[in-house]
Amino acid sequence: MKCVNFLANWSCVGVALVFPGQVMAEMQRLNDTDLAAIRGQGGITLEMEVEVTADRVSYFDDGNGIYLDDFRVGSATDPEGQAFHRVRVDISDDAALNLDYLIEDRRIEFGDVRLAGAPGLSMGGFFFDHSLKGYLRIRPGGALGGSGYTFDSAYTMTAGRLGYRTNGNEIFLDNMTLTMEALGVTLDVVGETLRLEAPRIVGSYDIGAIRYSGNPLNHGHSTDVTTGAALPSYGSISGAFDLTTLTELKAGGRSGEGLRIDHETTINSAHFIYRDDGNALSLRDISGHYRVSDLRLDVTDDWQGRPALGFTLGAMDGEVNIGALEMGDSGRSLGEVNLSFLLQAREFEGRHYTNSLYLQGGGHPDAGGQGLRLATEWSLALADLSYTEDGNRVIFSGLQSWGRGDITVNVTRDELRNGTRFYDGLRVGFDGVKAGYRINGLQVGDEDAPLQGGTELLLALGFYPAYEFEMDGHITLGAGGASGEGLTINSDIQIRNGRAALIASPYDDGSGEISQKGLWLSDLSYDGHIRDMTVDVTGEGLTFNTGESWSTLDVGNLRLGDKRSGQSFGRFVVQTYETGSGLTIVPGGSGEVCAGGVGVTASACAASGGIWQDRGDEGITVRMKQILAKAVDDSRKNAFTWETNREIDGSGQLVNGSGTRLVLNDIHTGDGGDFDGDGVDDNSFGVRTDVSVDVYQTRVVKKDDGPDSLGVSGLRGDEKIMDSAAVAGYRYESTPSSADLENRPLGFAVRAQSRFKELSINNVDLVHPVGGAQTVVYGVHMQNFDIKANLTATPIP
Amino acid sequence: MTTNAPAIVSLLICAVALSLPGQATAELKRLDDQALGDVSGQGGIYLSGDVSINELGGPIENSYFGGCDDTTRKCGARFAYRLKENGGWMVLDDIRGNFAFEGLTLRVRTIDSGFGGDGELFKRDVLELGLPNTVRFNDVRFKIAASSTARPTDPGFRQTDIFSVGMQGEVVMEGNLLVFPAGNP
Repeated sequence: MKCVNFLANWSCVGVALVFPGQVMAEMQRLNDTDLAAIRGQGGITLEMEVEVTADRVSYFDDGNGIYLDDFRVGSATDPEGQAFHRVRVDISDDAALNLDYLIEDRRIEFGDVRLAGAPGLSMGGFFFDHSLKGYLRIRPGGALGGSGYTFDSAYTMTAGRLGYRTNGNEIFLDNMTLTMEALGVTLDVVGETLRLEAPRIVGSYDIGAIRYSGNPLNHGHSTDVTTGAALPSYGSISGAFDLTTLTELKAGGRSGEGLRIDHETTINSAHFIYRDDGNALSLRDISGHYRVSDLRLDVTDDWQGRPALGFTLGAMDGEVNIGALEMGDSGRSLGEVNLSFLLQAREFEGRHYTNSLYLQGGGHPDAGGQGLRLATEWSLALADLSYTEDGNRVIFSGLQSWGRGDITVNVTRDELRNGTRFYDGLRVGFDGVKAGYRINGLQVGDEDAPLQGGTELLLALGFYPAYEFEMDGHITLGAGGASGEGLTINSDIQIRNGRAALIASPYDDGSGEISQKGLWLSDLSYDGHIRDMTVDVTGEGLTFNTGESWSTLDVGNLRLGDKRSGQSFGRFVVQTYETGSGLTIVPGGSGEVCAGGVGVTASACAASGGIWQDRGDEGITVRMKQILAKAVDDSRKNAFTWETNREIDGSGQLVNGSGTRLVLNDIHTGDGGDFDGDGVDDNSFGVRTDVSVDVYQTRVVKKDDGPDSLGVSGLRGDEKIMDSAAVAGYRYESTPSSADLENRPLGFAVRAQSRFKELSINNVDLVHPVGGAQTVVYGVHMQNFDIKANLTATPIP
Repeated sequence: MTTNAPAIVSLLICAVALSLPGQATAELKRLDDQALGDVSGQGGIYLSGDVSINELGGPIENSYFGGCDDTTRKCGARFAYRLKENGGWMVLDDIRGNFAFEGLTLRVRTIDSGFGGDGELFKRDVLELGLPNTVRFNDVRFKIAASSTARPTDPGFRQTDIFSVGMQGEVVMEGNLLVFPAGNP
């Protein structure tokens, strides 16, 4: 076993090095004149021009090896050149070792990473360019006594570039700058544990661009070497952090040799800013903490016996708070977000899930020889996600998620390769991923509020309160948005054996886990495709524009009650085909609203029986534009099918297509005529829907005389008033005072407005399995619709 | 038309008592609070709010449609359909209005008791829409018409308005609407 240490900031254990290349360290002798000029100084200065190459760096764990091929340390700008290092070593009178260092134009690179057990599969290459200037001071004595060490370190990294490369394509963080200071970092050995404690790490970072290259001739260049044009960018990132950390390292993997890591971090403060062409998406006032327990690192096999670098986690818990989520020119905030979580092994749906990741080579088999395959299993035992806007809070309570499957990562370019269509960008593939999530319900106000529904109001946004599925497919994230920086997404997703809840009751109502009742899209399959969806941060907010998308959602049974055994309303098939659709997330909610009435002024609203509400500056508004295109063929059209009376096969399964069907065929939007004279009806307006989400007070009245479900009495028509002095936290008032009206219950408030110029159905057919299709409606045209809905959800009293 | 009307899924609407000018009978009996307390899978939501259609007009501005402050044009929505190929169109025209409510509840509920003993025999899950006590209608209106074309701007457009409907005031709606599957899926 050999160890290598470069400048005390890079080390490894159990490494066998082979150096067919050369090590060059040019130390120059000081002449007498220079020596005479030195006064009162101590220590020595080392200057080195370094180039280190190795065909292979190997790490072995219980006889299993991982190889880092084509290892090189040298110049970042010259593939044959050396990196400049200057280190001044000084020992001060308190016996501290002081290292001042300057590193210029250095690249650390692995051309490929392979596992000894699977030499034919490679993970791809990594490179890290940088210049560093800083110091490291090492003093004797750690946090626990004299046998340890104390470190003070600070440095500035400039000209940084961190990249990942597969099959000649690469993605990299470009023009990185990082400043960091960590003072009083202690290193102690406690028993068999190496204990590293950093009382405070402060720093800031800036990533000038995140670039993509599909030209194999490029390697770590900001511009294309062929065209000279700047490589497309996903955007830029900057931020700052103030952390306190404690890390414990111990020998021993999950089995045999390996490494155990335990870690705690407190985020004292931080912020994160993503910029797209100068428009910012900011996460400000970040604070929190997390703890990693019993993370093991092994070179081992995954659950399918495939050689892998395994990361297996005992548990991880924490809480992160984002004080403000800002976007748009106005810098308005969507509100505050808080996430508490516990990742821990447990059983879901009769199967035990852990938290583990097995890193392997290969990626998508058709993408080329290089790529990453992550055999992944996760178990989010419990999480609460809360959102606070204008001081009012809603909690998505009891979020759980589980899953297992392979995730592949490749950097690909637009080509048809080995029969598979690839697109420019970072391709994240899903290969047999079986996963699910569920929430227990919403709580409005605080953690003590009763569970309630309300996610039903977000179905228009595609949010289901519970969903489990098996998934294949990919999402490819390309660089560059609608203009300049941003993202371009191409995606093909297939889902099978899915079960999604439209309405779901709690899975735990306080007396233990129960079967979650609801209205379920069961026996669900989905085939969805997205082409050229651009994602940009604009002056308005976060904008998604889709070139073309089409999908088929086939719900084998719409079940009521239990997701597997509940009675079925039959089979439903929803086909969609959209061109030029878009979605924008805008900060700010409903603003001023007339709830329960009509009118654009407070007086007009009150006159109609409504309540005039100012729901504040914060909140979220989602603006959607859906252009439903006319049918192109049977797979690209908008249609809705309801099938019942299906036959049952020999195994007792319902046979899709064997029953009677009601078909709404070729549903499409239009502008109401051909106004541009091209002979085709215009279709640019679509269905425009704005959904605004706030947390706000609402009027809740008692529906019956007598006690309610919590035993609080009142008369029919009495209003519910929150009162902390009351036993149940509320009371009923027949004539609430003005002070009482200030204490109306909080609700999850959703305001939606949907408009379309024309929505048409070409024909409505009844299809008999023997008699065939009969048209019952020869066309439906709906014109000039503007529908507003103002709904506030509270618990059922 | 010779299509067999599918005996698809029957939606049983029950326990609804509308204090409208007319009455609807309730087939199942109301659950008392004790029975409600025994109901599993609670949660659900209590909704307060309102729904408006073309409060100020729709998105089309042309010779037929316009804002509600323009008395020469219609500001409501239009729904047209035809049951015969190359035939005329049945139309719900100038649809607009607002209705508001407090206490519309929605949840999935298991009925296995009550209803005078019927619940025990019934023993299944239902989707329950608890009707609000009071629904306020603000200037809800539409017209039933017959038209020669789907769009009022199509060449040769002619339309006969058959009658108009207007609703204003409060409607008391009590009880629950229970929806559940039946028949062969």
